[in-house]
Amino acid sequence: MTTDASAPAAVSPDRALHRLFLTLFLRGRSSRGLRRNNMPRSVASKLLLTLLAYGCFGCFALAFVQRPVFEISIYLHGMTLLFCGMFIAASSGEILFNKEEADILLHRPVTPQALLRAKLTVLLQVSLWIAGAFNLAGMVAGVLSPNGNALYPLAHALSTVLEAVFCAGGVVLAYELCLRSFGREKLEGIMTTVQVLVAVGTVVAGQLVPRVIGRATFQRGSIGIHPWWFDLLPPAWFAGLDDAITGNGGIRAMTLAVIGVACTSLVAWLALGRMARHYETGMQLLGETTSAVPASQLASRRWLDALVHSPLLSWWLRNPVRRAAFVLVASYLVRDRDVKLRVYPGLAPLLVMPIAFMMPVSQHGADPFGGFGVAFCGAYMGMIPLFALSLLQYSQQWQAGDVFRAAPIPGPALLCAGARQAVTCFITIPLMVFFTAVVYFLRHTSAELPLLLPGLIALPAFTLAPHLGGKAIPFSKAGEEARSARRGLDLFGVILVSISLSLVAIWAWSMGWFHWFLLSEIAVVGVIYTLMRVSLTRAPWPSME
Amino acid sequence: MISVQQLTKRFGEQVAVDGITFEIPAGQIVGFLGPNGAGKSTTLKMLTGMLAPTSGTATICGHDLQSDTLEVKRHVGFVPESGAVFESLTGLEYLEMVAALYAIPEAAARARIEQFIAFFDLSFSTLTDKLLGAYSKGMRRKVVITSALLHNPPVVFFDEPLDGLDANAAVGFKALIQTLAREGKTIVYSSHILDVVERVCDRVLIIDKGRLLLDGKPETLVAESGAGTLERLFTQLTGGTELERRAEDFARTFRP
Repeated sequence: MTTDASAPAAVSPDRALHRLFLTLFLRGRSSRGLRRNNMPRSVASKLLLTLLAYGCFGCFALAFVQRPVFEISIYLHGMTLLFCGMFIAASSGEILFNKEEADILLHRPVTPQALLRAKLTVLLQVSLWIAGAFNLAGMVAGVLSPNGNALYPLAHALSTVLEAVFCAGGVVLAYELCLRSFGREKLEGIMTTVQVLVAVGTVVAGQLVPRVIGRATFQRGSIGIHPWWFDLLPPAWFAGLDDAITGNGGIRAMTLAVIGVACTSLVAWLALGRMARHYETGMQLLGETTSAVPASQLASRRWLDALVHSPLLSWWLRNPVRRAAFVLVASYLVRDRDVKLRVYPGLAPLLVMPIAFMMPVSQHGADPFGGFGVAFCGAYMGMIPLFALSLLQYSQQWQAGDVFRAAPIPGPALLCAGARQAVTCFITIPLMVFFTAVVYFLRHTSAELPLLLPGLIALPAFTLAPHLGGKAIPFSKAGEEARSARRGLDLFGVILVSISLSLVAIWAWSMGWFHWFLLSEIAVVGVIYTLMRVSLTRAPWPSME
Repeated sequence: MISVQQLTKRFGEQVAVDGITFEIPAGQIVGFLGPNGAGKSTTLKMLTGMLAPTSGTATICGHDLQSDTLEVKRHVGFVPESGAVFESLTGLEYLEMVAALYAIPEAAARARIEQFIAFFDLSFSTLTDKLLGAYSKGMRRKVVITSALLHNPPVVFFDEPLDGLDANAAVGFKALIQTLAREGKTIVYSSHILDVVERVCDRVLIIDKGRLLLDGKPETLVAESGAGTLERLFTQLTGGTELERRAEDFARTFRP
């Protein structure tokens, strides 16, 4: 080992921080003890595949080559905002406020502003990779558009960079405003709630807003006759910038472009300048250790305690192992930041899909799906506990799950049962009420509500599915494993089952055999459920290998 | 070297550190003792610029903690109790990142890292090929200690530094800090292992409930109190009375 005397001088702290956060983002922040003997892996191939997928998805824009530049840009900016927003919302909490990072970096000679700058640059950089991949085909579509020209790629690249800055700055600003408004004592809880809401909101808006924009844009024609509220949407500002630079759209495009540039500048100035000192407050909060329990946590503890000891739940949770698992899962659903950020945004798409199916596509209210939307909504309810339970097996404290194996319990059945009960109480029943209300309000009638029943009847079997073979023991796997591609395949399989169930239900409904169908379904589900319960009760602890 | 005047930290209504005052000259090893929740880690975090004090002042190497925080950070090294590292980096990547934050030229940083590798009996290939997440607790602790000393700071704060180190490494480490002190570095050593503190430290500060209870040389304090050992003195001061008897009583409750 020799020291290379010709090596360059010191790397600047700003560059070192940028390199650090980019590396951490690309490699992921591993859970302690998970990566035994792991070598550093190149993520280039994974990243390229992801960008390729975005690129392929972006090719849909080529279908709009006959549309005006503004409409192509609206589509591209709407989707870019969705992708970048989802990415930034999902990553920002972890990147901006990482608890362990305080012990590593806060005593080093770097300012919180330098940390914020480095993190924001990484968020922007990755957002731009995603945006670049997605918009590549769209740029070609813009050039080929009837009023497009060679300036379009340049204009669109500029507006996309501005959009990414707006998006990243907006998320950081939201955190800073929370810090300013709520103070450091309440920050941790508030921040988690904000992050969950931002992530859920982005997913929900991502599903619903394109439909709304689509209706407004593709049915009304050119930019001049869009409704007034259209100008309030950020994609319209950046599409206006594209239009203005390519010489289309006139005064309204110019106005939208000015709004876009002004809002982006304002957000960036506020996030990185005026409000940046509040980031320092948040970073210091991470270094604080206090034995005082926040009032909100005390309240949730008392509330949970009262609930568990209520007559109905005391009887339902009379088995002590079930009750312990119930309290554990319920506590994490209410308190644990990592679990909340995984479970609630993970369930958001499931909430939106049925609503999207029930929303009228045209402005005249015609529903091309008939009662299928309602039946699909019911079938989707079964997926909610299924996915919640699948997601609840992951935790940052997965190693603490050894306590279950050390206890004199023959298998995971009782623990899993407690977890199912908690999910039923805290997620499934509230969402059943929500879905029923949504169906009632969107369809303006209670006549179609029975179509929810097939899904409800199948719900107990769906709920048992993740635990088959003694799998999905609560909080027994590292959070990192939650990113497995297997979940996507599972989702696809369950959607197929839900669609099939809905199709059969709607066919029986239209043939007048719905009652018979329900009776048959109860019998079939009853048999399947019993077999699953027996199998689960006999399941041993899964291997620790 | 370290001057602390009425340093206080409140978290809402709770007072974590309550107006502590002390001076530490260069070349001294000071044991910083206290029971759990006494305010040790909070004090160390304030003195390393990680936490802003609610009131009071502190200077380190002549730099004011509140008005000249970055300069203070350049002059201190800190081994936190958590032993946190970025586990997705290799040991070498982590140490080079830390070196860059102190603007240490790459060649000098590499040379210093090699010295630490030799001292701690680490293999260079482990440092370059393995992610920190795959390191044992002791190896990770060695990397954290290296990262605290890499920039050759005149003041070093250790919070439970022996946690995870094997016996040989612990012996080496104790010799290291005694030599560093002889070379003029100021060492603040926070630990629950009182016999180590008694052997290694020139002076101890004992705090409880955020207040400084005792300050002096271990042998003098033990002799003056008549406690016999630092451990007994510590338990007397911090309310741990009749611990042995209570433990025996409790153990008897397990009789079949």
